[in-house]
Amino acid sequence: MRRLRELYQYRTMIASFVRKDLKGRYQGSVLGFLWTFLNPLLQLLVYTLVFSVILKSAVPHYYLHLFVALVPWMYFASALTTGAKLILDQKNMIRKIYFPRSVLPLAYTVSSLCSMLFSFVIVFAVIAVMHLGINFAALPWLVPVIAVQFILVLGMNLLTSALTVYLRDLEHIMGVLSMAWMYLSPVVYGMEFIPAQWRRVYLLNPMSPLILAYRDILYYQKAPDGKHLLLAAGMSILVLCIGTAVFEKLQKRFAEVL
Amino acid sequence: MSAIEIQDLKKSFRIYSDRGSGLKDRVLSPKRRRYEQRTVLDGVTLTVKQGEAVGLIGKNGCGKSTLLKLISRILYPDAGSVTCSGRVSSLIELGAGFHPDMTGRENIYTNASIFGLTRREIEARMDEIIAFSELEPYLDEPVRTYSSGMYMRLAFSVAIHVSADILLIDEILAVGDAAFQAKCFDRLMEIKAAGTTVVIVSHSLAQLERICDRTVWLDGGRIRAEGAPNEVHPEYMAFMGQQRKPAAAPAQTAAEEKTESPVHFTEIYLENGAGERIDRLCTGEAAELVLRYEAEPEAAEPVLVGLALYRADNVLCYGTNTEREHLPYLKPAASGELRCKFTAVNLIAGRYWFDAALRRRDMFAYDYAAKAVQFTVYNTIDETGVARICHTWEGLQ
Repeated sequence: MRRLRELYQYRTMIASFVRKDLKGRYQGSVLGFLWTFLNPLLQLLVYTLVFSVILKSAVPHYYLHLFVALVPWMYFASALTTGAKLILDQKNMIRKIYFPRSVLPLAYTVSSLCSMLFSFVIVFAVIAVMHLGINFAALPWLVPVIAVQFILVLGMNLLTSALTVYLRDLEHIMGVLSMAWMYLSPVVYGMEFIPAQWRRVYLLNPMSPLILAYRDILYYQKAPDGKHLLLAAGMSILVLCIGTAVFEKLQKRFAEVL
Repeated sequence: MSAIEIQDLKKSFRIYSDRGSGLKDRVLSPKRRRYEQRTVLDGVTLTVKQGEAVGLIGKNGCGKSTLLKLISRILYPDAGSVTCSGRVSSLIELGAGFHPDMTGRENIYTNASIFGLTRREIEARMDEIIAFSELEPYLDEPVRTYSSGMYMRLAFSVAIHVSADILLIDEILAVGDAAFQAKCFDRLMEIKAAGTTVVIVSHSLAQLERICDRTVWLDGGRIRAEGAPNEVHPEYMAFMGQQRKPAAAPAQTAAEEKTESPVHFTEIYLENGAGERIDRLCTGEAAELVLRYEAEPEAAEPVLVGLALYRADNVLCYGTNTEREHLPYLKPAASGELRCKFTAVNLIAGRYWFDAALRRRDMFAYDYAAKAVQFTVYNTIDETGVARICHTWEGLQ
């Protein structure tokens, strides 16, 4: 509770770090902030080319089937790869000045959320241009889905950023882990590929129900499975609790270990 | 009311002999991770009252900075507790979070936000910060184009305007040029006058004497002495003097060599007007510096006599030599006595020493007597600065 009040006191720091992160990402490039939109658009073009022309998939509009999953997946993966380096990268500040350490993972979770939302702008643009149709009744479901994912990503960021300080190898392990995790989540394929008896286990990966929910809303144009969403929420809150506890414990020695 | 309560604070660091925080080291040699536990603070108990200014002194590695970092919560104690009431701001590291590609203005913003200021608070202080930094014309240029002095000025301006209840300062009053330093110092006095609690680490005892109500001397992770600066500082200086003795040994061999030089001092002391030897004098009193020497008149070339007057914190208060004063060179006799008569020693209260030198015309020193005479100046007026400029007041009645 005291932590929360302190974080509120440091809200301007969080905001300025989010801004710095978003602005700094493409700083020095000619197109600047435009890359925020250009990046997902170009990716989408590549996937469209590969899966509509070369590797024709049986799934209609497979590129969209893939892309509505890939965008949230990249948000999650950011917590594993870049998120793991959060504390390490700011070691000079941590060693020399006090601020609530959880500002860093929190600000990063928000700034990568913004990146995801910018990518969704492209998703909606493509849906509109290609006349794929959209179900406005299902759309509000995006809010709780994104909220649950935010909780999950925040928890992961807290966990990975704190652990990496003590175990530097994690930074490299995370690259492989995130690749494996992606193929264990329904990103490139749909749930129907998973044998029925394994689905229960498969859904214990918090990203599985979340990606299915995104796909339901944006691709199948229907409300997501409420049970899946509750499951995802439960697991995400658990991850956040573990992440907070671990971070709180480990952060005390950050300034010494770094 | 106390602003900072420190109870039996202990802190030690693990110094790893083979530092490996990689997976391989943990898995392959879990037991081989030898480390040495180095105790930095070993039970410090201290209470700082609200509005009080406390100076921390001690030799390097005594735990001053660690104590400051514990108060600011950068570090966590192993045992004991630190309780602070109010917002704590630390001037330990200046310019935290500065981004070289962002403009001065943007950096003020980011930097201030790291101190926990909200947008509204930053905006309220923006003009003051800019005015204080004297960097207005450069404010919309990226910070990487700044000189290091400008960079520090900007950083200091932000830090000093945080308006914390407790301000922690670590050796940073050496920012920018002399004029800016004086300004920082004035600002610090203002902050203190406004009732902010200040804890400051410094090696400059003179600085501490001017700011602090109390000095805490840390030695080996414990408080060795605390009290009014003018009580603790002489004790500390004496202690540090003793500590330095072994290092002073080479000077003795230099003294032996001196006997071979054709001119050298045999005795230097201070006399008052009545011809008595003294080591204390009141501001404004007359004094005579007596310099006795021996020489081999055939071997010695004519010499000039140089004097340098230092204050205990190494401030050169006055320096002169007979050549600069267009006086004749001394043709040394076999032995002799020189007198430098001061009609009024207008130094402010403090400890001082004289260095004296006998030099050839080409400035080669036949003899250089460092700290030849040490003395204390006292008076009842609490002046600041170096020397008293003689003056009278009118119109007060």
